[in-house]
Amino acid sequence: MTIEADNKRWSAKYPELGTGPVSAEPCISPEYFELEREHIFRRSWLNVGNVCEVPELGDYIVRDIEVVSASILIMRGRDGVVRGFHNVCSHRGNTMAWDASGNCRGYLTCNFHSWGYDSLGQLRVVPDEDNFHNFDKSQHGLTPVATEVWNGFIFVNLDSKPHQTLGDYLEGVTGNLTGGDFDKLTLVRSYKIDEKANWKIGLDAQNEVYHLPFQHKYIMPDVFAANSAGYTRVKDVTLFKRHSVYSCDMNHEHKPSPMETLIGQIDPGRTRCRLPTKSEFDFYVLFPNFVIIIFRGISNDSCVTYNFWPLAVDHTIWEIRFYSPPATDAAERLINEFGQTRTRLVFEEDAVAHETVHTGLKSRAKRHLIFQDEEIQLRHFHKVVEEHVAQAKGD
Amino acid sequence: MDDKFSPIPARVLPEAFSDLEPFSQWALATESERIAARDSSTLEELQVFYEVMMARIPAIIGYVDKFPFDRLPDDARNLFNLALSAVEASIAVELYHQPQVINGFDRARFRPVE
Repeated sequence: MTIEADNKRWSAKYPELGTGPVSAEPCISPEYFELEREHIFRRSWLNVGNVCEVPELGDYIVRDIEVVSASILIMRGRDGVVRGFHNVCSHRGNTMAWDASGNCRGYLTCNFHSWGYDSLGQLRVVPDEDNFHNFDKSQHGLTPVATEVWNGFIFVNLDSKPHQTLGDYLEGVTGNLTGGDFDKLTLVRSYKIDEKANWKIGLDAQNEVYHLPFQHKYIMPDVFAANSAGYTRVKDVTLFKRHSVYSCDMNHEHKPSPMETLIGQIDPGRTRCRLPTKSEFDFYVLFPNFVIIIFRGISNDSCVTYNFWPLAVDHTIWEIRFYSPPATDAAERLINEFGQTRTRLVFEEDAVAHETVHTGLKSRAKRHLIFQDEEIQLRHFHKVVEEHVAQAKGD
Repeated sequence: MDDKFSPIPARVLPEAFSDLEPFSQWALATESERIAARDSSTLEELQVFYEVMMARIPAIIGYVDKFPFDRLPDDARNLFNLALSAVEASIAVELYHQPQVINGFDRARFRPVE
Protein backbone atom coordinates (compact mmCIF):
# COMPACT_ATOMS: atom_id res chain seq x y z
CA MET A 1 0.00 0.00 0.00
CA THR A 2 1.34 3.38 -0.99
CA ILE A 3 0.45 6.46 0.97
CA GLU A 4 1.07 9.71 -0.80
CA ALA A 5 1.23 12.54 1.66
CA ASP A 6 2.66 16.01 1.63
CA ASN A 7 6.00 16.39 3.30
CA LYS A 8 6.12 18.43 6.52
CA ARG A 9 2.39 18.14 7.13
CA TRP A 10 2.68 17.61 10.89
CA SER A 11 4.70 20.74 11.55
CA ALA A 12 1.93 22.57 9.69
CA LYS A 13 -0.64 20.94 12.01
CA TYR A 14 1.37 21.77 15.13
CA PRO A 15 3.43 24.89 14.29
CA GLU A 16 3.86 25.76 17.96
CA LEU A 17 6.33 22.91 18.34
CA GLY A 18 8.81 24.56 15.99
CA THR A 19 11.25 22.72 13.77
CA GLY A 20 14.62 23.32 15.40
CA PRO A 21 17.03 20.89 17.02
CA VAL A 22 16.23 19.60 20.52
CA SER A 23 18.74 19.38 23.36
CA ALA A 24 20.18 15.94 24.01
CA GLU A 25 21.34 16.90 27.49
CA PRO A 26 18.17 15.65 29.26
CA CYS A 27 19.03 12.14 28.03
CA ILE A 28 22.43 12.05 29.70
CA SER A 29 22.44 14.55 32.56
CA PRO A 30 22.32 13.03 36.07
CA GLU A 31 21.10 16.37 37.42
CA TYR A 32 18.25 16.45 34.94
CA PHE A 33 17.36 12.89 35.86
CA GLU A 34 16.99 13.93 39.51
CA LEU A 35 14.52 16.62 38.41
CA GLU A 36 12.55 14.08 36.40
CA ARG A 37 12.48 11.77 39.38
CA GLU A 38 11.02 14.44 41.68
CA HIS A 39 8.83 16.39 39.31
CA ILE A 40 7.65 13.80 36.83
CA PHE A 41 7.74 10.35 38.39
CA ARG A 42 6.69 11.40 41.88
CA ARG A 43 3.77 13.43 40.55
CA SER A 44 2.39 11.61 37.51
CA TRP A 45 -0.07 8.78 37.16
CA LEU A 46 2.01 5.67 36.49
CA ASN A 47 0.67 2.44 35.04
CA VAL A 48 1.64 -0.53 37.18
CA GLY A 49 -0.37 -3.36 35.66
CA ASN A 50 -3.78 -4.59 34.70
CA VAL A 51 -6.77 -5.84 36.67
CA CYS A 52 -6.39 -9.23 34.95
CA GLU A 53 -3.41 -9.78 37.27
CA VAL A 54 -5.64 -9.56 40.37
CA PRO A 55 -8.80 -11.35 39.24
CA GLU A 56 -9.88 -12.84 42.59
CA LEU A 57 -10.78 -11.20 45.88
CA GLY A 58 -7.60 -10.88 47.94
CA ASP A 59 -5.27 -11.23 44.94
CA TYR A 60 -2.28 -8.93 45.04
CA ILE A 61 0.74 -7.97 42.99
CA VAL A 62 3.82 -6.07 44.13
CA ARG A 63 5.43 -3.46 41.90
CA ASP A 64 8.75 -2.00 42.88
CA ILE A 65 9.09 1.48 41.38
CA GLU A 66 12.74 2.16 41.97
CA VAL A 67 12.75 5.64 40.47
CA VAL A 68 10.61 6.79 43.39
CA SER A 69 12.06 4.28 45.90
CA ALA A 70 8.65 2.72 46.40
CA SER A 71 7.31 -0.78 46.59
CA ILE A 72 3.59 -0.76 45.81
CA LEU A 73 1.14 -3.45 46.84
CA ILE A 74 -1.86 -3.62 44.50
CA MET A 75 -4.63 -5.67 46.09
CA ARG A 76 -8.21 -6.53 45.23
CA GLY A 77 -10.08 -6.20 48.51
CA ARG A 78 -12.77 -8.53 49.72
CA ASP A 79 -15.18 -5.82 48.52
CA GLY A 80 -13.85 -6.22 44.94
CA VAL A 81 -12.13 -2.81 44.83
CA VAL A 82 -8.53 -2.65 43.56
CA ARG A 83 -6.41 -0.49 45.90
CA GLY A 84 -2.78 0.45 46.11
CA PHE A 85 -0.71 0.65 49.28
CA HIS A 86 2.88 1.20 50.17
CA ASN A 87 4.21 -2.29 50.76
CA VAL A 88 5.49 -1.28 54.17
CA CYS A 89 4.52 -2.53 57.63
CA SER A 90 3.23 0.12 60.05
CA HIS A 91 5.29 -1.25 62.94
CA ARG A 92 8.89 -0.55 61.99
CA GLY A 93 8.80 -0.22 58.24
CA ASN A 94 9.57 -3.72 57.09
CA THR A 95 8.67 -4.73 53.53
CA MET A 96 5.37 -6.60 53.81
CA ALA A 97 4.83 -8.84 50.79
CA TRP A 98 8.01 -10.41 49.44
CA ASP A 99 6.49 -12.31 46.53
CA ALA A 100 5.72 -10.65 43.20
CA SER A 101 2.13 -11.84 43.49
CA GLY A 102 -0.12 -13.78 45.83
CA ASN A 103 -3.45 -13.87 47.59
CA CYS A 104 -4.31 -12.38 50.94
CA ARG A 105 -6.27 -15.24 52.48
CA GLY A 106 -7.38 -13.81 55.75
CA TYR A 107 -4.37 -11.70 56.60
CA LEU A 108 -1.21 -10.56 54.92
CA THR A 109 1.41 -11.02 57.60
CA CYS A 110 4.68 -9.22 58.12
CA ASN A 111 7.67 -11.54 58.50
CA PHE A 112 9.25 -9.44 61.22
CA HIS A 113 6.69 -9.48 64.12
CA SER A 114 3.65 -11.03 62.42
CA TRP A 115 1.54 -7.92 62.19
CA GLY A 116 -1.41 -8.90 60.00
CA TYR A 117 -3.40 -6.78 57.53
CA ASP A 118 -6.63 -7.66 55.75
CA SER A 119 -7.35 -7.28 52.04
CA LEU A 120 -8.57 -3.71 52.63
CA GLY A 121 -5.20 -2.78 54.13
CA GLN A 122 -6.56 -2.54 57.67
CA LEU A 123 -4.30 -3.66 60.52
CA ARG A 124 -6.05 -6.59 62.20
CA VAL A 125 -3.45 -8.59 64.11
CA VAL A 126 -0.75 -7.28 66.46
CA PRO A 127 0.95 -9.92 68.60
CA ASP A 128 1.35 -8.79 72.24
CA GLU A 129 -0.84 -5.79 71.42
CA ASP A 130 -1.52 -4.88 75.07
CA ASN A 131 2.15 -4.19 75.63
CA PHE A 132 2.16 -1.22 73.21
CA HIS A 133 1.59 2.30 74.54
CA ASN A 134 -1.52 4.32 73.66
CA PHE A 135 -1.95 2.12 70.64
CA ASP A 136 -5.06 2.01 68.44
CA LYS A 137 -4.50 -0.46 65.64
CA SER A 138 -7.40 0.95 63.61
CA GLN A 139 -5.16 3.97 63.01
CA HIS A 140 -2.26 1.95 61.62
CA GLY A 141 -3.40 0.35 58.37
CA LEU A 142 -1.15 0.17 55.34
CA THR A 143 -0.43 3.59 53.81
CA PRO A 144 -2.72 4.04 50.82
CA VAL A 145 -1.42 5.20 47.44
CA ALA A 146 -3.74 7.01 45.02
CA THR A 147 -4.90 4.24 42.68
CA GLU A 148 -7.33 4.32 39.77
CA VAL A 149 -8.29 1.91 37.01
CA TRP A 150 -8.99 2.86 33.39
CA ASN A 151 -9.87 0.31 30.71
CA GLY A 152 -8.49 -2.33 33.06
CA PHE A 153 -5.11 -0.63 33.38
CA ILE A 154 -4.11 0.15 36.97
CA PHE A 155 -2.42 3.47 37.65
CA VAL A 156 -0.92 4.85 40.84
CA ASN A 157 0.19 8.35 41.76
CA LEU A 158 2.87 8.69 44.43
CA ASP A 159 1.89 12.27 45.19
CA SER A 160 0.18 12.21 48.59
CA LYS A 161 -2.47 14.56 47.14
CA PRO A 162 -2.58 14.19 43.33
CA HIS A 163 -3.47 17.42 41.57
CA GLN A 164 -5.71 15.60 39.09
CA THR A 165 -7.84 12.52 38.86
CA LEU A 166 -6.62 9.88 36.42
CA GLY A 167 -9.48 10.78 34.06
CA ASP A 168 -8.38 14.42 33.93
CA TYR A 169 -4.75 13.41 33.61
CA LEU A 170 -5.49 11.19 30.61
CA GLU A 171 -7.32 14.06 28.89
CA GLY A 172 -7.74 13.39 25.16
CA VAL A 173 -6.72 9.76 25.28
CA THR A 174 -9.84 8.70 27.14
CA GLY A 175 -11.97 10.14 24.33
CA ASN A 176 -10.16 8.00 21.76
CA LEU A 177 -9.91 4.80 23.73
CA THR A 178 -13.49 4.46 24.79
CA GLY A 179 -15.65 1.37 24.43
CA GLY A 180 -14.20 -1.83 23.08
CA ASP A 181 -13.52 -5.16 24.71
CA PHE A 182 -10.73 -4.17 27.09
CA ASP A 183 -12.27 -6.52 29.65
CA LYS A 184 -11.49 -9.47 27.35
CA LEU A 185 -7.75 -8.84 27.51
CA THR A 186 -5.45 -11.05 29.52
CA LEU A 187 -1.70 -10.87 29.94
CA VAL A 188 -0.41 -13.54 27.56
CA ARG A 189 3.31 -12.77 27.29
CA SER A 190 5.81 -10.38 28.76
CA TYR A 191 9.47 -9.45 28.64
CA LYS A 192 11.78 -7.44 30.80
CA ILE A 193 14.76 -5.86 29.11
CA ASP A 194 17.56 -4.46 31.22
CA GLU A 195 19.02 -1.60 29.18
CA LYS A 196 22.01 0.64 29.74
CA ALA A 197 20.20 3.62 28.28
CA ASN A 198 18.16 6.60 29.34
CA TRP A 199 14.43 5.87 29.56
CA LYS A 200 13.57 8.59 27.03
CA ILE A 201 15.95 7.16 24.41
CA GLY A 202 14.06 3.87 24.51
CA LEU A 203 10.70 5.58 24.36
CA ASP A 204 11.81 7.86 21.51
CA ALA A 205 13.07 4.95 19.48
CA GLN A 206 9.72 3.22 19.76
CA ASN A 207 7.73 6.37 19.11
CA GLU A 208 8.24 6.51 15.34
CA VAL A 209 8.14 4.21 12.33
CA TYR A 210 10.71 6.10 10.24
CA HIS A 211 13.39 3.63 11.36
CA LEU A 212 11.55 0.41 10.55
CA PRO A 213 12.73 -0.28 6.98
CA PHE A 214 16.31 0.42 8.03
CA GLN A 215 16.97 -0.86 11.52
CA HIS A 216 14.57 -3.77 11.02
CA LYS A 217 15.52 -4.55 7.44
CA TYR A 218 15.61 -8.30 8.10
CA ILE A 219 12.21 -8.45 9.79
CA MET A 220 10.02 -5.75 8.34
CA PRO A 221 11.52 -3.94 5.37
CA ASP A 222 8.06 -3.34 3.93
CA VAL A 223 5.48 -4.18 6.61
CA PHE A 224 4.22 -0.64 7.27
CA ALA A 225 2.55 1.63 4.74
CA ALA A 226 5.03 3.88 2.95
CA ASN A 227 5.15 6.40 0.15
CA SER A 228 6.32 5.58 -3.36
CA ALA A 229 9.91 6.22 -2.32
CA GLY A 230 9.60 3.54 0.38
CA TYR A 231 9.59 5.92 3.33
CA THR A 232 7.00 5.18 6.01
CA ARG A 233 4.16 7.64 6.31
CA VAL A 234 1.77 7.59 9.25
CA LYS A 235 -1.93 8.08 8.76
CA ASP A 236 -2.35 10.49 11.63
CA VAL A 237 -0.57 12.14 14.52
CA THR A 238 -2.62 13.63 17.32
CA LEU A 239 -0.91 15.42 20.15
CA PHE A 240 -2.66 16.03 23.45
CA LYS A 241 -1.55 18.17 26.35
CA ARG A 242 0.85 15.51 27.61
CA HIS A 243 0.11 12.41 25.61
CA SER A 244 0.20 11.52 21.93
CA VAL A 245 -0.93 8.95 19.41
CA TYR A 246 0.27 8.12 15.95
CA SER A 247 -1.61 5.77 13.68
CA CYS A 248 -0.38 3.68 10.77
CA ASP A 249 -1.73 1.19 8.38
CA MET A 250 0.14 -1.87 7.22
CA ASN A 251 1.42 -2.46 3.71
CA HIS A 252 -0.87 -5.25 2.54
CA GLU A 253 1.29 -5.80 -0.52
CA HIS A 254 4.36 -6.65 1.48
CA LYS A 255 6.13 -9.87 0.56
CA PRO A 256 5.33 -12.54 3.13
CA SER A 257 7.80 -15.24 4.13
CA PRO A 258 6.75 -18.89 3.70
CA MET A 259 5.94 -19.20 7.42
CA GLU A 260 3.90 -16.02 7.32
CA THR A 261 1.99 -17.35 4.31
CA LEU A 262 1.34 -20.63 6.09
CA ILE A 263 0.20 -18.87 9.26
CA GLY A 264 -2.01 -16.61 7.16
CA GLN A 265 -3.85 -19.65 5.80
CA ILE A 266 -4.87 -20.84 9.27
CA ASP A 267 -8.48 -20.12 10.15
CA PRO A 268 -8.21 -17.60 12.99
CA GLY A 269 -11.58 -18.51 14.48
CA ARG A 270 -14.34 -16.24 15.62
CA THR A 271 -13.89 -12.64 16.69
CA ARG A 272 -14.10 -12.09 20.44
CA CYS A 273 -12.24 -8.86 21.02
CA ARG A 274 -12.45 -5.53 19.24
CA LEU A 275 -10.71 -2.43 20.51
CA PRO A 276 -11.16 1.20 19.46
CA THR A 277 -8.68 1.88 16.67
CA LYS A 278 -7.94 4.70 14.25
CA SER A 279 -5.80 2.48 12.02
CA GLU A 280 -4.20 -0.96 12.04
CA PHE A 281 -1.51 0.19 14.47
CA ASP A 282 -2.24 2.94 16.99
CA PHE A 283 0.68 3.92 19.20
CA TYR A 284 -0.27 5.88 22.31
CA VAL A 285 2.31 7.46 24.58
CA LEU A 286 0.74 8.10 27.97
CA PHE A 287 3.10 10.48 29.67
CA PRO A 288 5.50 9.84 31.18
CA ASN A 289 6.55 6.24 30.60
CA PHE A 290 3.59 4.15 29.45
CA VAL A 291 2.78 3.09 25.89
CA ILE A 292 -0.31 1.31 24.63
CA ILE A 293 -0.17 -0.08 21.10
CA ILE A 294 -3.47 -1.27 19.68
CA PHE A 295 -3.15 -3.85 16.92
CA ARG A 296 -6.01 -4.49 14.58
CA GLY A 297 -6.15 -8.26 14.14
CA ILE A 298 -7.92 -10.29 11.47
CA SER A 299 -9.91 -12.04 14.14
CA ASN A 300 -9.10 -10.37 17.45
CA ASP A 301 -7.59 -7.01 18.27
CA SER A 302 -4.85 -7.03 20.86
CA CYS A 303 -2.52 -4.64 22.53
CA VAL A 304 1.07 -4.38 23.62
CA THR A 305 2.14 -2.12 26.43
CA TYR A 306 5.53 -0.73 27.37
CA ASN A 307 6.59 0.62 30.72
CA PHE A 308 9.98 2.30 30.69
CA TRP A 309 11.16 2.16 34.30
CA PRO A 310 14.26 4.26 34.88
CA LEU A 311 16.71 3.03 37.51
CA ALA A 312 19.29 5.72 36.80
CA VAL A 313 20.00 8.27 34.08
CA ASP A 314 21.67 5.52 32.05
CA HIS A 315 19.80 2.43 33.18
CA THR A 316 16.22 1.41 32.37
CA ILE A 317 13.99 -1.62 32.62
CA TRP A 318 11.89 -1.81 29.47
CA GLU A 319 8.88 -3.90 30.40
CA ILE A 320 6.84 -5.24 27.48
CA ARG A 321 3.46 -6.90 27.85
CA PHE A 322 1.19 -8.57 25.31
CA TYR A 323 -2.50 -8.49 26.13
CA SER A 324 -5.06 -10.44 24.12
CA PRO A 325 -7.95 -12.79 24.72
CA PRO A 326 -6.50 -16.14 25.83
CA ALA A 327 -6.07 -18.48 22.86
CA THR A 328 -8.82 -21.09 22.83
CA ASP A 329 -7.25 -23.45 20.32
CA ALA A 330 -3.98 -24.42 18.65
CA ALA A 331 -4.72 -22.41 15.51
CA GLU A 332 -5.13 -19.16 17.42
CA ARG A 333 -2.18 -19.90 19.69
CA LEU A 334 0.13 -20.53 16.72
CA ILE A 335 -1.01 -17.34 14.97
CA ASN A 336 -0.22 -15.45 18.17
CA GLU A 337 3.16 -17.17 18.49
CA PHE A 338 4.14 -16.05 15.01
CA GLY A 339 3.14 -12.41 15.51
CA GLN A 340 4.53 -12.16 19.00
CA THR A 341 7.90 -13.79 18.32
CA ARG A 342 8.45 -11.64 15.22
CA THR A 343 7.63 -8.62 17.34
CA ARG A 344 10.10 -9.84 19.97
CA LEU A 345 12.85 -9.65 17.35
CA VAL A 346 12.01 -6.01 16.74
CA PHE A 347 12.43 -5.38 20.47
CA GLU A 348 15.78 -7.16 20.48
CA GLU A 349 17.11 -5.07 17.63
CA ASP A 350 15.68 -1.93 19.22
CA ALA A 351 17.20 -2.62 22.63
CA VAL A 352 20.66 -2.77 21.06
CA ALA A 353 20.09 0.60 19.41
CA HIS A 354 18.78 2.17 22.62
CA GLU A 355 22.17 1.45 24.15
CA THR A 356 24.24 2.55 21.17
CA VAL A 357 22.32 5.83 21.01
CA HIS A 358 22.94 6.38 24.71
CA THR A 359 26.63 5.69 24.22
CA GLY A 360 26.75 8.17 21.37
CA LEU A 361 24.92 10.92 23.22
CA LYS A 362 26.96 10.41 26.36
CA SER A 363 30.10 11.34 24.44
CA ARG A 364 28.55 14.79 23.87
CA ALA A 365 29.88 14.65 20.31
CA LYS A 366 26.37 15.83 19.39
CA ARG A 367 24.52 18.21 21.66
CA HIS A 368 21.21 18.04 19.84
CA LEU A 369 18.70 15.64 18.41
CA ILE A 370 17.37 16.38 14.92
CA PHE A 371 13.74 15.39 14.34
CA GLN A 372 12.06 15.12 10.94
CA ASP A 373 8.36 15.69 10.37
CA GLU A 374 7.35 12.07 10.95
CA GLU A 375 9.09 12.33 14.33
CA ILE A 376 7.02 15.27 15.55
CA GLN A 377 5.58 13.23 18.41
CA LEU A 378 9.13 12.93 19.82
CA ARG A 379 9.47 16.69 19.64
CA HIS A 380 6.20 16.96 21.54
CA PHE A 381 7.32 14.43 24.16
CA HIS A 382 10.60 16.25 24.83
CA LYS A 383 8.68 19.52 25.16
CA VAL A 384 6.30 17.99 27.72
CA VAL A 385 9.24 16.65 29.73
CA GLU A 386 10.90 20.05 29.59
CA GLU A 387 7.70 21.81 30.67
CA HIS A 388 7.33 19.55 33.70
CA VAL A 389 10.90 20.12 34.76
CA ALA A 390 10.75 23.88 34.10
CA GLN A 391 7.49 24.20 35.99
CA ALA A 392 9.03 22.37 38.90
CA LYS A 393 12.02 24.69 38.93
CA GLY A 394 9.57 27.60 39.19
CA ASP A 395 7.71 26.09 42.17
CA MET B 1 20.69 -37.30 21.62
CA ASP B 2 22.36 -33.97 21.46
CA ASP B 3 23.28 -32.97 25.00
CA LYS B 4 22.37 -29.34 24.49
CA PHE B 5 18.67 -30.21 24.75
CA SER B 6 16.84 -31.60 27.75
CA PRO B 7 16.44 -35.37 27.41
CA ILE B 8 12.91 -36.35 26.39
CA PRO B 9 11.70 -39.94 26.58
CA ALA B 10 11.16 -41.77 23.27
CA ARG B 11 7.70 -41.89 21.68
CA VAL B 12 6.63 -38.50 22.87
CA LEU B 13 4.42 -37.80 19.86
CA PRO B 14 1.08 -39.20 18.69
CA GLU B 15 1.30 -42.28 16.48
CA ALA B 16 0.20 -40.40 13.35
CA PHE B 17 3.20 -38.10 13.75
CA SER B 18 5.86 -40.71 14.40
CA ASP B 19 7.76 -39.36 11.38
CA LEU B 20 8.57 -36.32 13.55
CA GLU B 21 10.15 -38.40 16.35
CA PRO B 22 13.68 -37.51 15.15
CA PHE B 23 12.83 -33.91 16.07
CA SER B 24 11.30 -34.63 19.46
CA GLN B 25 14.03 -32.63 21.20
CA TRP B 26 12.19 -29.59 19.84
CA ALA B 27 9.12 -30.35 21.98
CA LEU B 28 10.02 -27.45 24.24
CA ALA B 29 7.42 -26.00 26.55
CA THR B 30 8.76 -22.50 27.13
CA GLU B 31 9.80 -19.62 24.94
CA SER B 32 13.14 -19.39 26.74
CA GLU B 33 13.90 -23.00 25.84
CA ARG B 34 12.87 -22.48 22.24
CA ILE B 35 15.07 -19.39 21.93
CA ALA B 36 18.01 -21.24 23.49
CA ALA B 37 17.51 -24.16 21.11
CA ARG B 38 17.51 -21.87 18.08
CA ASP B 39 20.55 -19.98 19.32
CA SER B 40 22.53 -23.18 19.90
CA SER B 41 21.61 -25.06 16.72
CA THR B 42 23.39 -24.85 13.41
CA LEU B 43 21.61 -23.27 10.45
CA GLU B 44 21.65 -26.67 8.75
CA GLU B 45 19.84 -28.30 11.69
CA LEU B 46 17.30 -25.49 11.76
CA GLN B 47 16.76 -25.73 8.01
CA VAL B 48 16.02 -29.46 8.13
CA PHE B 49 13.61 -29.10 11.05
CA TYR B 50 11.88 -26.10 9.47
CA GLU B 51 11.34 -27.76 6.11
CA VAL B 52 9.89 -30.91 7.63
CA MET B 53 7.59 -28.89 9.87
CA MET B 54 6.35 -26.53 7.17
CA ALA B 55 4.73 -29.52 5.50
CA ARG B 56 3.21 -30.81 8.74
CA ILE B 57 1.91 -27.73 10.56
CA PRO B 58 -1.59 -27.81 8.98
CA ALA B 59 -2.00 -31.45 10.01
CA ILE B 60 -0.66 -30.70 13.49
CA ILE B 61 -3.26 -27.98 14.03
CA GLY B 62 -5.97 -30.30 12.75
CA TYR B 63 -4.89 -33.02 15.18
CA VAL B 64 -4.32 -30.87 18.25
CA ASP B 65 -7.60 -29.03 17.81
CA LYS B 66 -9.50 -32.27 18.25
CA PHE B 67 -8.81 -31.81 21.98
CA PRO B 68 -9.83 -29.04 24.36
CA PHE B 69 -6.84 -26.69 24.19
CA ASP B 70 -6.54 -26.27 27.95
CA ARG B 71 -6.49 -30.05 28.50
CA LEU B 72 -4.20 -31.44 25.82
CA PRO B 73 -2.89 -34.98 26.28
CA ASP B 74 0.89 -35.01 26.76
CA ASP B 75 1.65 -36.31 23.27
CA ALA B 76 -0.56 -33.67 21.62
CA ARG B 77 1.05 -31.00 23.78
CA ASN B 78 4.50 -32.18 22.70
CA LEU B 79 3.38 -32.12 19.09
CA PHE B 80 2.08 -28.58 19.42
CA ASN B 81 5.31 -27.49 21.07
CA LEU B 82 7.13 -28.74 17.96
CA ALA B 83 5.00 -26.34 15.91
CA LEU B 84 5.87 -23.47 18.25
CA SER B 85 9.55 -24.36 17.87
CA ALA B 86 9.18 -24.38 14.08
CA VAL B 87 8.00 -20.76 14.28
CA GLU B 88 11.12 -20.02 16.31
CA ALA B 89 13.32 -21.87 13.78
CA SER B 90 11.77 -19.87 10.93
CA ILE B 91 13.38 -16.75 12.39
CA ALA B 92 16.80 -18.15 11.56
CA VAL B 93 15.87 -19.73 8.25
CA GLU B 94 13.71 -16.98 6.78
CA LEU B 95 15.01 -13.75 8.25
CA TYR B 96 18.60 -13.83 9.44
CA HIS B 97 20.01 -16.83 7.53
CA GLN B 98 21.98 -17.64 10.65
CA PRO B 99 20.85 -19.14 13.96
CA GLN B 100 21.16 -15.99 16.04
CA VAL B 101 19.55 -12.59 15.62
CA ILE B 102 21.95 -10.31 13.75
CA ASN B 103 23.03 -7.58 16.14
CA GLY B 104 20.83 -9.19 18.80
CA PHE B 105 20.67 -8.13 22.40
CA ASP B 106 22.48 -9.71 25.34
CA ARG B 107 20.32 -12.75 26.09
CA ALA B 108 20.91 -12.52 29.84
CA ARG B 109 19.37 -9.04 29.90
CA PHE B 110 16.36 -9.83 27.66
CA ARG B 111 14.15 -12.07 29.69
CA PRO B 112 10.80 -13.64 28.85
CA VAL B 113 8.77 -13.53 32.06
CA GLU B 114 7.56 -17.13 32.41
